[in-house]
Amino acid sequence: MKKIYLLLIASIAISSCTDTDALSPVNQTRISDVTAFETPDRALQQVLGMYGGVKTGQFYGGRYFNYQDVRGEEFNNDRSNGVTNLFTWNFGLQSSTNEVNNLWYAGYLAINRCNVVIAGLEGAPIPASLKVQYKAEASFLRALSYYSMLTLYARPYWDGNGSKPGIPLRLKPETNSGSSDLARASVAAVYDQIIIDLDYAEANLQLTNANAYDNTTRAHKNTAIALKTRVYLSMNKYDKVIAEANKIVTMSAPFSSITGVSNKLAPTIGAVFATPALTTENMFSFAYSPTDIPGTQNSLVSYYNPTVGTGEYSLLPTGILSNAGWKSTDARKALNVVNSGKTYLNKWTKNASDPDFVAVIRYAEVLLNLSEAIVRDNKTVDARAIQLLNAVRGRSDATTIFTAASFATFQDLLNQIAIERRIELLGEGFRSPDIMRLAQNFPAKGGAPSVATTDSQYIWPIPLNELLYNKLCLPND
Amino acid sequence: MRLKFKWIYTLLIALSMQLAFAQEKTVTGVVSDVTGPIPGANVIVKGTKKSVQTDFNGSYSIKAKVGEVLQFSFIGMNSSSVTVGASNTINVKMKSDSQDLDEVVVVGYGTQKKRDVNGAISKIGGDKIKNIPVQSFDQSLSGAASGVNASSPNGVLGNQAVIRIRGVNSINLSSYPLIVIDGVPSWNGDNLNQSNAANNPLSDINQADIESVEVLKDASSAAIYGSRAAAGVILITTKKGKLGKVSINFDSSVSFTSAYNLIPLLNANEFTEIKNEGLANFGTPANGTTRGFYTMKDANGNLVDTNWYDYAYRTGVAFNHNLSISGATENTKYFLSAGQLEQEGMFINNDFRRQTGRFTLDQKVNSWINIGGTFSYTNAKTNGLNTGSANGAAFAASGAARLAFVQAPNVGPFNNDGTYNLRGNQIGYGNNLTALQYVNAKYLTDTNTFIAQNDHIISNFYIGLKIAKGLNFKSLYGIDNLIIENKDFLGPLQGDGFTDKGTASNTMNRYTRKSIQNILDYNLTLAEKNNFSALLGTERQYSKTDAWGATRKTVSDPFFNEYQGGYSTIVPAGNLLIENYLESYFGRVNYDYDKKYYFSINGRRDGYSAFAPGNKWGNFYGGSLGWTVSEEDFFKNSAIGNVLNQFKLRASYGLVGNNQGIASYASSSFFNAGLNGTNPTLFYAQAGNKNLTWETSKKTDFGLNFGLFNDRITGELGYYKNNIDGLILSVPQASSTGIPDSSILANVGSMSNTGYELTLNAKVLSNGDFKWNTSFNISTQKNRVLSLDANDSDIITATALENTSITRVNESIGNFYIVKTGGVNPANGRRIFYYRDGTAVQYDHASPVASRWTKVSDGSVTRAANQAADAVVLGPALPKYYGGFSNTFMYKGFDLNVSLYFSGGNYVYNGTKAGLHDQRVWNNSADVLNRWRNPGDVTDIPKIVFGDNISNGSSMPISDNLEKGDFVKVRNIAFGYSLPKSLLDRVQLSNLRFYLSVQNAFTFTNYSGFDPEISTNGNSNGSPSVDRNSAPIARTFSFGLNLSL
Repeated sequence: MKKIYLLLIASIAISSCTDTDALSPVNQTRISDVTAFETPDRALQQVLGMYGGVKTGQFYGGRYFNYQDVRGEEFNNDRSNGVTNLFTWNFGLQSSTNEVNNLWYAGYLAINRCNVVIAGLEGAPIPASLKVQYKAEASFLRALSYYSMLTLYARPYWDGNGSKPGIPLRLKPETNSGSSDLARASVAAVYDQIIIDLDYAEANLQLTNANAYDNTTRAHKNTAIALKTRVYLSMNKYDKVIAEANKIVTMSAPFSSITGVSNKLAPTIGAVFATPALTTENMFSFAYSPTDIPGTQNSLVSYYNPTVGTGEYSLLPTGILSNAGWKSTDARKALNVVNSGKTYLNKWTKNASDPDFVAVIRYAEVLLNLSEAIVRDNKTVDARAIQLLNAVRGRSDATTIFTAASFATFQDLLNQIAIERRIELLGEGFRSPDIMRLAQNFPAKGGAPSVATTDSQYIWPIPLNELLYNKLCLPND
Repeated sequence: MRLKFKWIYTLLIALSMQLAFAQEKTVTGVVSDVTGPIPGANVIVKGTKKSVQTDFNGSYSIKAKVGEVLQFSFIGMNSSSVTVGASNTINVKMKSDSQDLDEVVVVGYGTQKKRDVNGAISKIGGDKIKNIPVQSFDQSLSGAASGVNASSPNGVLGNQAVIRIRGVNSINLSSYPLIVIDGVPSWNGDNLNQSNAANNPLSDINQADIESVEVLKDASSAAIYGSRAAAGVILITTKKGKLGKVSINFDSSVSFTSAYNLIPLLNANEFTEIKNEGLANFGTPANGTTRGFYTMKDANGNLVDTNWYDYAYRTGVAFNHNLSISGATENTKYFLSAGQLEQEGMFINNDFRRQTGRFTLDQKVNSWINIGGTFSYTNAKTNGLNTGSANGAAFAASGAARLAFVQAPNVGPFNNDGTYNLRGNQIGYGNNLTALQYVNAKYLTDTNTFIAQNDHIISNFYIGLKIAKGLNFKSLYGIDNLIIENKDFLGPLQGDGFTDKGTASNTMNRYTRKSIQNILDYNLTLAEKNNFSALLGTERQYSKTDAWGATRKTVSDPFFNEYQGGYSTIVPAGNLLIENYLESYFGRVNYDYDKKYYFSINGRRDGYSAFAPGNKWGNFYGGSLGWTVSEEDFFKNSAIGNVLNQFKLRASYGLVGNNQGIASYASSSFFNAGLNGTNPTLFYAQAGNKNLTWETSKKTDFGLNFGLFNDRITGELGYYKNNIDGLILSVPQASSTGIPDSSILANVGSMSNTGYELTLNAKVLSNGDFKWNTSFNISTQKNRVLSLDANDSDIITATALENTSITRVNESIGNFYIVKTGGVNPANGRRIFYYRDGTAVQYDHASPVASRWTKVSDGSVTRAANQAADAVVLGPALPKYYGGFSNTFMYKGFDLNVSLYFSGGNYVYNGTKAGLHDQRVWNNSADVLNRWRNPGDVTDIPKIVFGDNISNGSSMPISDNLEKGDFVKVRNIAFGYSLPKSLLDRVQLSNLRFYLSVQNAFTFTNYSGFDPEISTNGNSNGSPSVDRNSAPIARTFSFGLNLSL
């Protein structure tokens, strides 16, 4: 009898272990793809997640700006550190170099997030109008990402009128294997898509967002228009720049936008960078907080600031710093700081643990885009162009007022506009695209060589990780 | 066990009956073995203090009463007992203990007699590892058994040994064996979520508590662990009480540890000269105002000439004490132990303190119930530091190992006023005008702390029921709960805390594991010769990791270095919450006929939670056949049978799985929560794969065991082949897909490991006072990747920032992906590189950028050599062979053991050398003094050009830094002396032994780095044999004693 009991106990002990539910534990900390767009809140969070994708440390959180700036002649690499873009600075990149691979990955990760959200929103329980607005934000961010990558990985538009290889154009969400192979679209084809996206964004974004914070940190109509002025400028389509800019820039000073958010220059350049940096000049910025930071060796403050950051790059005395017209009384000089005998850019000052917002589109840029486009378009010493130039200069340096008499030829005016861009937009990611769209050579700078438009290093190599796994993608030679 | 009880019972009864009329008489005789008389054997009258030793002729003479039992014992022989009867002469023929038919081997969910084992199992006795002065038992396994390659990746405390059983058995998942402690699978460093200081949970096990380590290598032995057995299984069995009188053991040792084989560096003057030469060659000579390197004097007017090794390394002192008390009566077995280890590592500020307690009790309640269990608790505290030697940390800016050899020697850690020499996030430049790059290591070691406290409870409780004759049931409940509290502080002035201006991070990590096992086993002998045993069981294992914490940033005052001090901001850190379940059913049948013909089969069905519904369950099995030829009469009677006393053939085959290392929710797709500024976000973060399932490994094993000259020489020869299928790979997706991590897991690859194993044990000399035992094992391994993803895409594996390794079809896993170089061109001092097509090109950093690369043939400008276009696959990176060779010599009370560990046939990528030759502001190894200077100079160091990071392999790995990895290491030398019995008896001790030992005494190798055993990427499968900025290996001298009462 005893033994029978025992057998019974044993069999119960064995069978009690069967519990198939236990084999499907629910992940408590992540949202399943099945329910990711299930509520209006989640839909909104998905939209903000796209911004999060573009503003990672490897992309707009800092590195992207640094790449674009240190290719130019303004900065010295003080630390010889390969991790902090030495090879971008001295044009020693290979397809295996980390930044070449990391930016590509970060850019396409952001693009895919946009594509995933565009598709996912279809099933989201939100009004159709909101869906369209969200999709417009996705289109805007996708356009910004494609444009940013195109300026590094592809030949400029002028080279063969966009016929050179651009980058792979992906517009559908990728969530499964099997889609690796995709040939590079032409430069023109990528630009066309950027314009399509921005036109869609302009048409469907809100005129104004809910508040000043959202007007700066989320796209609205004027943001899309402003980005188009930048894109068309890179395509050397100056008439289009003018047409777009005129939508948000009045015909004469004081310049401002009469539609949507009333974008205009902030009273001082300091206000543009001082917390909370939410002026109407800050047309589009990426937001950060102590719990949302770009990460070590990524943030702008860590690259440029010698005291708060690690001071990776100082301003070369031979760069724009040497420009005699940039007076010491110019308010923008106050955005520099001298440390141990070197001058550093001090636009970003907040501690890396609570970083500055990153200003991506400022109204000042739109004015300079327009000014330059007008002159390039009509090839005259144009009065409105000078007014636009003066608006930017005068805000920081009231003692310098340009007149038509200041410029013997329209080329002189263009040169002055170029100088103004170098001063005003210093460190904000414009130098390399400006050099390249104008078919200029990269000038030599302390220890780094000059790079001609024909040099293979004029653009970045296509990354190794793409070449290895995308059999249709051809390298840059 | 029960048999023994019965035997003792009978004996006791017999004794008590005879006691009354026994009379003392003199018994004489000769003790011998097959080779002749044994001098020095002990003869004891059981239960008395009467004992004698045999003389040179093996003769003895002792007084005993009829009915008393004489016990004969001798090292290396089975003890034997003879009851004194009518005869006054008792001659004893002793048998070597290796032929011990009753020796028990622990197998999955049970034990087996050694001679019945059909699979490939290696047993390592606890006595072999007890006294080895390492932090953790896993580090003492190297060279101990064939088919088991255990190597130490570096000498940092807390780093887990790299263990491979019969090759690398996965690419993307873990190739680390399953570690089972007293039946419960244990946490190991491979599945912890630790990003800070190295922390090896296996070091929470006190080596002195280990009875034996069994390694299950083939399918027939390991398949009972089903889905977790692909990389082999290591069973740790802790000590239990043994029948007899109470045994008390005390072990104590003191050890001295230091780094060895440090590479000589440039001193201050040499550094200054070399760097200025580089500046001159670059065309920008030192000018005294803005550029150049200059030495400086300290406050006393002496040249500042800093050897930065002095600020990294020290001689660490360790004390280890263990005490145990154990014993058993007929019904109760107990073992109680306590241990304390205080260990200083070779790095300054690298300390380990461990306190362990263990209690084991086995109680027979009545004729059919027995109950028992083990409880062990460990409190371990590691003071770690960032050495840059953990997997993925090779280029850590604050890595202490690298800082020690790259920092400029012409500046010191302190200013003349005693303050730290700091400048921004770099060391102060001293008189140097050209900026220095690295941080002040002294500040970091003084300021930064990485403390890990482990509270580790390993416990199990079982009930055993005897249901019927031969039928037993056992239910076991085991836990392995590990709580790790990490506390890091990073100082604000330099290093990793600089950007955030001083941070303190505290994280709590709770690793919980429960295992419930129910096992029914049945033994039956039919017609005396048919021996059956069968086992049926279930197991359910639940594991959970629950980790959380925060980082406080921007310390408000230099006084604070604890988390609770003053800081400006706080952010979450170290959060992780995962759980997984494994549900299993398994069974085993063993059969033998007359101990001649063996057959076994086992199977297991596992369900695992990480896989999607439909793919959760997998079936695994193994089987074996064996034939003990030496038990056959024809063999016994043959001529060869006289020499070859033991000869067994065995073969096994089976299919096992691997899920070790797969993420808990790997098959699902997820969106992660994040932030945009302060607003919550969701974003696409994991592309899952519903089709994901187990990796499988088909293991084939052939072996033969033999014993020669009555087991004077024993050995084992084996062949294995593992065919691994359905490897779960992160199938690379082009980055432009934007799929998170550019990869999706899928079961796509296949791979094979084949090799031979040979083990030889010999009693070279076993008679007389001088004895010599030797043990040798060697294993070969050949890995071949058979397929990868659908395109057979290469898998490039990085060593932190540098792509060093590649896994490619038809190559061995993790071979090197390196640009071929051809030394230095004597004509111009430039490094010669080869394009993949063989074109020789050379690099001159001093030329304008556009013309730095020229063809060697005609000097014409050409494109840069680069890894994408020019790297070739070189290797193998995995050793072709490895093994151990151990010799033990005994003379009277003296014993000497010398254990060698060897490995070779492979190459090691010496990336550290690239750094040591880098011509930025880094210090160099002393061999750069032999640089090229004039046309015609033949040297391996190119012309020094300041800023040159290409010629020496920093910007891409070059084959001139690839070196042969062959080495023989004198792993351990131990010399001991045991006090003679006569002396011990007087103080009532049963054993007292003093010993001296050296761990890692010497390394014989042509490798030019610290040590060819170094593995920068630790247990990573895809990038073995890379030595990049890692810490060297430690050498340890110990003095200790083993005392038994």
